[in-house]
Amino acid sequence: MLSSIAKPFAALALAAVLISIVLAALGASPFGVFAALGGGAFGSWYACVDTLVKSTPLIFTGLAVSIAFSGALWNIGADGQLTIGAIAAAAVGTHLENFPHAIAIVIVLAAGALGGAIWGGVAGWLRARRDVNEVISTIMLNFVAVQMLSWMVHGPLMEPSRAYPTSSPIASAAQLEFYFAPSRLNLGMLLAVVLAVACYSLLFNTSAGFELRAMGRNRRAATFFGIRIPALTVWVMALSGALAGLGGAVQVSAISHRLYEKLSPGWGFEAIAVALVARLNPLAVIPAALLFGALDNGSQAMQRTQGISPELVQVIQGLVILIILAFDTPAWNGLRENIFGASSDDAAAVPPVAEMPDA
Amino acid sequence: MLEAFLVSVITMATPILLAALGELLVEESGVVNIGIEGAMLSGAFAALTIAYFSGSAGLGLIGAIAAGVALNAIFAVLVVNLAVNQVVTGTAVSILALGLTGVFYRQLFGVTGKAFMVAPIAKIPLGPLARIPLLGPVLFDHNALVYVTFLLVPVLWYVISRTRYGLRLRACGERPEAADALGLGVIAIRWQALLVSGALTGLAGAFLTLAYANTFVENISAGRGFVALSVVIVGRWNSWGLAAASLLFGAAMALQFGLQALGTVVPYQLFLALPYALTLVVLAGFGGQAAAPSALGEPYRRQ
Amino acid sequence: MLRANAITKRFGRTLALDGVDFEARPGEIHALVGENGAGKTTLMNVLAGSLAPDNGQALLDERPLQAGSPRAALTAGIAAVHQSPMLFERMTWEENLALGGFDTGAELLDLAAVAARARALAAKLGFDLPPAGATVENRSVAERVRLEVLRALSFNPRVLILDEPTSVLAPSELAAFLDLLRNLRGEGRIVVLITHKLSEAIAVADRITVLRRGRVVARTIPAETSEEKLAGLMIGEIVIQPDASAMQLGPGEPVLQVENLTLDDHTRRRILDRLSLRVAAGEIVGIAGVDGNGQTELVELLAGVRKPGGGKITSIGAMAVIPQNRDLDGLILDMRLWENLILARPLREQVTSRGWLNTSRAIDLSRELIERFRIRAPGPEAIAGALSGGNRQRLEVARAIASQPRVIVAHNICRGLDLAATAEVHRRILDFAADGGAVLLISSDLDELLAICGRLLIISGGTVRETNPGERDPERLGLLMAGARD
Repeated sequence: MLSSIAKPFAALALAAVLISIVLAALGASPFGVFAALGGGAFGSWYACVDTLVKSTPLIFTGLAVSIAFSGALWNIGADGQLTIGAIAAAAVGTHLENFPHAIAIVIVLAAGALGGAIWGGVAGWLRARRDVNEVISTIMLNFVAVQMLSWMVHGPLMEPSRAYPTSSPIASAAQLEFYFAPSRLNLGMLLAVVLAVACYSLLFNTSAGFELRAMGRNRRAATFFGIRIPALTVWVMALSGALAGLGGAVQVSAISHRLYEKLSPGWGFEAIAVALVARLNPLAVIPAALLFGALDNGSQAMQRTQGISPELVQVIQGLVILIILAFDTPAWNGLRENIFGASSDDAAAVPPVAEMPDA
Repeated sequence: MLEAFLVSVITMATPILLAALGELLVEESGVVNIGIEGAMLSGAFAALTIAYFSGSAGLGLIGAIAAGVALNAIFAVLVVNLAVNQVVTGTAVSILALGLTGVFYRQLFGVTGKAFMVAPIAKIPLGPLARIPLLGPVLFDHNALVYVTFLLVPVLWYVISRTRYGLRLRACGERPEAADALGLGVIAIRWQALLVSGALTGLAGAFLTLAYANTFVENISAGRGFVALSVVIVGRWNSWGLAAASLLFGAAMALQFGLQALGTVVPYQLFLALPYALTLVVLAGFGGQAAAPSALGEPYRRQ
Repeated sequence: MLRANAITKRFGRTLALDGVDFEARPGEIHALVGENGAGKTTLMNVLAGSLAPDNGQALLDERPLQAGSPRAALTAGIAAVHQSPMLFERMTWEENLALGGFDTGAELLDLAAVAARARALAAKLGFDLPPAGATVENRSVAERVRLEVLRALSFNPRVLILDEPTSVLAPSELAAFLDLLRNLRGEGRIVVLITHKLSEAIAVADRITVLRRGRVVARTIPAETSEEKLAGLMIGEIVIQPDASAMQLGPGEPVLQVENLTLDDHTRRRILDRLSLRVAAGEIVGIAGVDGNGQTELVELLAGVRKPGGGKITSIGAMAVIPQNRDLDGLILDMRLWENLILARPLREQVTSRGWLNTSRAIDLSRELIERFRIRAPGPEAIAGALSGGNRQRLEVARAIASQPRVIVAHNICRGLDLAATAEVHRRILDFAADGGAVLLISSDLDELLAICGRLLIISGGTVRETNPGERDPERLGLLMAGARD
């Protein structure tokens, strides 16, 4: 029987095999490509540190997706929530020149979290009060966020010379500093790890987290036992959005210092792969995010030395998600029961979308 | 000026409508396919690549159909046969297509940044009709894909609401277990809908590369698959409604280009966001998905 | 000849059919009787191809039927009428019938031709049809059953299997319906009638097969048996005697009071119609009725899952609800046993302080309840889905009683349970009432209600009516349940 830990690894291994086939079709050496990926991600001290830096936004968005998916709320909108968080952080951050460093940082991060929370909360409210499927609404809100970002950097937040579609840099007081310069390691990584622990605690050590998980596993039963689904839906989506928005704020505060179009290379979508590899466990999101951060980081070296474009990383993400879903499907359960006896400790990571129709 | 705008509306609306009609078939059978964006992208890439190397637009279209069908087949195995989560599968399929087209594009065309142009698919002016002032160029002077797309609107309406096949399709989306008890073969019907939809979506992608941009750039579909998804909702699962919604969204996109050129005070991003914002408003206003097939998005697995 | 050879079917750990042999001959009405959960419906689904058996084979005229293929079964001539109609609610009735055997075969739908064929057949059966173009979701339950029967007959089947078809028919319709079955028999068809109404089986059947807990326990003919004998065979032992102490307790203070409860569904059809009732401390009040007369909605309103259109529910003290579908509404099958227990708010509050959940305390509490309610489970950490049906129900009852409510509302809690489990659940409920608790027991199993309830109400068409002791014979109650007024 595939244990819950072995499953993601088996999925990754199978993805590697499939990728090798794609690479062979492209006429590239799979071994060379994987070696280049690994070297680019971990080949030197700076490569390792940069992998950490690249993983940071994935931890935030991975947590956002894990929390929402745990409640069977299919938040496909972490990217938009992160974007709105970044906009809010930058909008506030440019006005904090005379604030003490610590306070400016807190304000910038809070603005990002609030922006993301609003963006996620809207989708939650639409689901709870207007019966609008959160999948559709979060996808739509992603695109609205993209256009809003574009408008901001061409309009209200455009830098004064009006030569480039970017915002002015945020005040230096609001910038998270680097450690071990010239590496870009910053406090954001630590914050992400602390939040992962907090999310784990919330899910598994609190009454609210229990209600969230109960809603995710069986919404009908949760309703019968007085769990207030509408309110919980709004709060969970707002929390999920806040986590993603915080990721956007950290990115602006520590790395980019300004807004520009295409700020996120798709962290909100990559987060789905991260969350599934982590089986929605917030603590496991950290290593899963490191894995995908390493892939992102290594992809540039892969392009330099092997001539394979960095989009290969997206192929890996897509395959990993599909393989994990295929492993997790209830369709196998009957088979597994026949071969191994009833599987009691091997519940699927992803709650079902809906209950099965009556037998 | 008006003529150019209206032609642009039709050009913008065509790929969206074509993909949306495919999605309509799938949703009537009870499946929601978010991977439509990926199928469109794959179709766009396959069409350009094959047309470029073979010099034949026709082969390019066939390639686009094959690519769309292949991607939807991956989706169908997981969603129809293995009954896994449709939303997450669709998202993964889109990511996969984005990655695959990106990797293969760079591999085949290098990273020189040189544009690989193909000749646009020939326009077929419809004789004297095309010479009517204003109406002629707007309605009767397009390539075959445009005609096919708008012809599909009444055809699909008829098939879905007036034929035996359409009735069976709707039965699968309404109550799959009852359809199964009547021996309709839910799995086969959902597969068929997904394969046909894959072909239509692939062609929608081909339109982008062979009739609109005449080249390929990464992520050329730029969210049009998701616009098609909202067209189905705003069009209330009715192919006439889909046509109306596509034209509306096409107009918003066309207007945006005009505004960008004119440099008006109204930010053009507002028009780019319109399809998405409007979808949210429609959904919120109409009280959710009351018009949607009852079993839409629910995994169905036989006992 | 329709034949089933050594059919075995298992759902998880529940053995639904255990080597069942069954045969029905052309030109006979064959009654398949058994308690709820005896495996009748599962056997029908296997014969009709909706379920593939784990072992064994179904044959028609000695030709094996393709397992698990409804289409093959229909082609071979086997049609089934399900207990809850398998109709497409948002389509018109003509479209529903077009999906059956009235299909003209042409690729273009001809709904007028379908309606004409349907009217011809309906006239023969004495059925009324809805007005042209009416959507199914707006029709009554009885109308839906008639549509489903019509659709099954439209296939012109050699074998017709009906699952409890008479339970929703009005008494006036019943005689005509039984005549219809006799006509079908006269045409040389095979009619399999699944029922738990023994009088009906004896009146209309040529042969009777009795199922108990997934096994055939008797094959007989009406002339050689009686309702009492059949009941004995079905149940296996004597029905539990009412616990005198619980029933003779004088009416205490009213704990649960429901006044003029009204509810309409989204199509504005009235589901509950000014329903009023009261339950006092120490008494068990039963509500009997045919499924689909508002029971589920009443329970949902009491549980606070939905809001009434009008009327008022007053409860003194806490209420615990045990919903009817334990696997969908009552339990979260892929969560652990202790997690399922703390789903009840009072128990969750016991193990929570300032929002923090004390897992080890929850596990200790669960271990204690597992012991006290004799739930057979590997331990508090076991996944609820790994428990047998009976133990899942013990878990639900344990959770309800441990929450220390003043009222328990229980809906079909013994459906699908074996006798031992049923007896134990009943004993827990009786003990709870004896300790001064109030119980509202909603069930479609009349025997259960007659056995343990002090007062008995009948629900029909969304409203309840009190019965007096003189009316407590199954025939009279059956009439009331079918909607008869005095």
